[in-house]
This record gives sequence, C-alpha cells and structure tokens, in this order.
Amino acid sequence: MKEIMAVVRMKKTGATKKALVAAGVAGFTAVKVLGRGNLVTDPTVLEECKKKLLSMGMDEFSDERDTEKMVTSFLDGSRFFPRRLFTILAHDDDVPRIIEAITNANKTEYGIGDGTIFVLPVADAVRVRTGEAGEAAIW
Amino acid sequence: MLLIRAIVRPEKKDDVLAELSGAGFNAATMVDVVGRGKQKGIKIGGMVYDEIPKTLILMVIPDEAKDKVIKMILSIAKTGTDGTFGDGKIFVSPVDEVYTISKGALGL
Repeated sequence: MKEIMAVVRMKKTGATKKALVAAGVAGFTAVKVLGRGNLVTDPTVLEECKKKLLSMGMDEFSDERDTEKMVTSFLDGSRFFPRRLFTILAHDDDVPRIIEAITNANKTEYGIGDGTIFVLPVADAVRVRTGEAGEAAIW
Repeated sequence: MLLIRAIVRPEKKDDVLAELSGAGFNAATMVDVVGRGKQKGIKIGGMVYDEIPKTLILMVIPDEAKDKVIKMILSIAKTGTDGTFGDGKIFVSPVDEVYTISKGALGL
C-alpha cells in the first residue's frame, strides 16, 4: 500500500484527473497549495525566461521598473506559485503505472516547474462504510 | 529521503522559509490549515476556539539533512525563549521514491 503525492500545475488539474481515471485509480484527493521548487541556476534558461516574461508583462499602463522587479522576484526562487496537490492511495503494483500516467499528463516543453511526485509507504487504511482494513480498503 | 510536515504559525512561515532557502532547501509546498493541539484550542472567556489557523509546510529532503532542517525550523518557529503553546509541530515520514516530472527521472 502506497500513498502517491503529486504536486502539479493548476492548469493541468483537468488533464491529471482524466489521466488518473484512465489509469484506473479508485479515488484521489486534490488540494490547492502554494509551492516552489529547486533553484534554477542555468543562466541561459533564466535569461530566456526573463525575456519572455518581460514581453508578456508589459502594456501601456505598467512601469518598466515595476515589471522588471516582479519578474526578477519570480525567477530568484523566493516566490510561491499556486499548485494542485493530488493524494492517491494505491496498491504497490499500480504505483509505476500511476506515476507514468501523471508524468505523461503533466510534461511540458518549459523544462521547469512541472511538479514532483512523492511515493510514501502507508501503514494502514480503513474504509469507513464497511470497516474493511488494509489492501481491501483501497478498491 | 524524508518528508517533513511542519505545522507553524502563519506569521512565522516567511522567516522559516527564507532561512531554509538560504541553507539550500528551496523546494517547499505550503497549505493554510486549521487545527488544534493537546491544549484543546484556546479558551477566551466562555468561547473555545478549536480551529486555529496554521500553515503546513511540506518538504522532501535527503536523510542526512534531517537534523539540520529540523533544528532550523525549531529555532525559528519558536516564540519566546522557552516556546509557547501553539508554536506548532514537525512530523517526519519516510519517502520511498521521488520523481521530477519535467526531467521524467527518479530523484529530487
């Protein structure tokens, strides 16, 4: 019995849900969370990202310095981004399949910020309706 | 690898996260939660408040960093010299596997 915790992009919530249902997951819980990842140190990636964000953030009302300050704070890793945390209970054999499904649904071309999946052991689970415990409580 | 679940005061979360980031533990997830502890909430006059707002910080770290991270959170999340009821708690659970989606690979 394993607990899978997956932190994914807000926009990918629907895609992840669909992928999980297609993979045959019994049930899952989703929570809105704030998150940040490891720092990106590659200067070429950062420069490219900054240029893109600056071009997106500027319009006739915004001040250039304000926009640049905001973009810099986005990129230096100190800011938290909204993310969706999925918690899934699964049998040991199903874990690789579910991880593959989540990975395929969430991979983007950006290369960073796609999220992380954690697999934790679970001591016991009980279904409230029937009182079944252990592996039987998952399905 | 270990999952650290730290429940801290919302006003302390920025200090805790800034300190952890400075020590190289930048990756974290946080959720606003409500809860109560052993003291069964706060009693003010006749009112009992048992849904006290806290912040839950989730982070996965290598085994060898455990003592350092826990010490850091304990020292910053504490209020007063001896600590106060309501400063929070830290839970540590084992993590079997970690996958980074963008790299599609095993590891933090």
